[in-house]
Amino acid sequence: MTPEQRKLAYELITNPPPGSKLAEAKEYGIDLTLLYENLKLTPTERARKFVEGARSLREIRLAAQRHRAKR
Amino acid sequence: MRLEEALRALYDEEVEFVVIGGAAMQFQGSAHLTEDLDFCYARSPKNIQRLAKALQPFHPHLRNAPEDLPFRFDALTIERGLNFTLATDLGALDFLGEVAGLGGYDEVKAASEKMCLFGIDHQVLSLEGLIKAKRAAGREKDLDAVKELEGLLDIRRRTGL
Repeated sequence: MTPEQRKLAYELITNPPPGSKLAEAKEYGIDLTLLYENLKLTPTERARKFVEGARSLREIRLAAQRHRAKR
Repeated sequence: MRLEEALRALYDEEVEFVVIGGAAMQFQGSAHLTEDLDFCYARSPKNIQRLAKALQPFHPHLRNAPEDLPFRFDALTIERGLNFTLATDLGALDFLGEVAGLGGYDEVKAASEKMCLFGIDHQVLSLEGLIKAKRAAGREKDLDAVKELEGLLDIRRRTGL
């Protein structure tokens, strides 16, 4: 992402053009700042983030299973 | 999830595959989280053999299946089935022969793009392809994902990313 693309992307997520898909997404409740942060990363950095997210989800799922088993 | 190793194992055996699903969404910039890694694979006899060989060292077995259910992820099993949800030493890996809204491997590959992950180019389903697949899947969570993917596509088109 070049500095110009970064600037434009930031403008778009803070002020989505009316009637655009981006505006629709924002109205729907999508947090556009998360998309912006992800787009700043390289694909490999996003892939590493995927691994961290998968690990967190697994830990949450296992903790919920342990909690249910105790009840 | 041992993502880099999973991709490397498939690459080293020259398996023809496309990364799809939640992982592809994240690689494309989505904030969606998922625990498994989904692939679409080519159904040619050669590729089926390569896939079986690539995963064999990682003890693939069916996810959420009874422990005593006999299962071998070999070429014959893959040939007789289509979609496999596997637990492996590398993590939860799903292999689909077809993707709703797109079709088989050739159509999925045509809707994918090359992406450099960990220094190697892999085929990853494009935002347009993901939108088609999610629309076809049609579940509530898929339709939620479409909104985010369309927003991402809008940013990419307007910025030239």
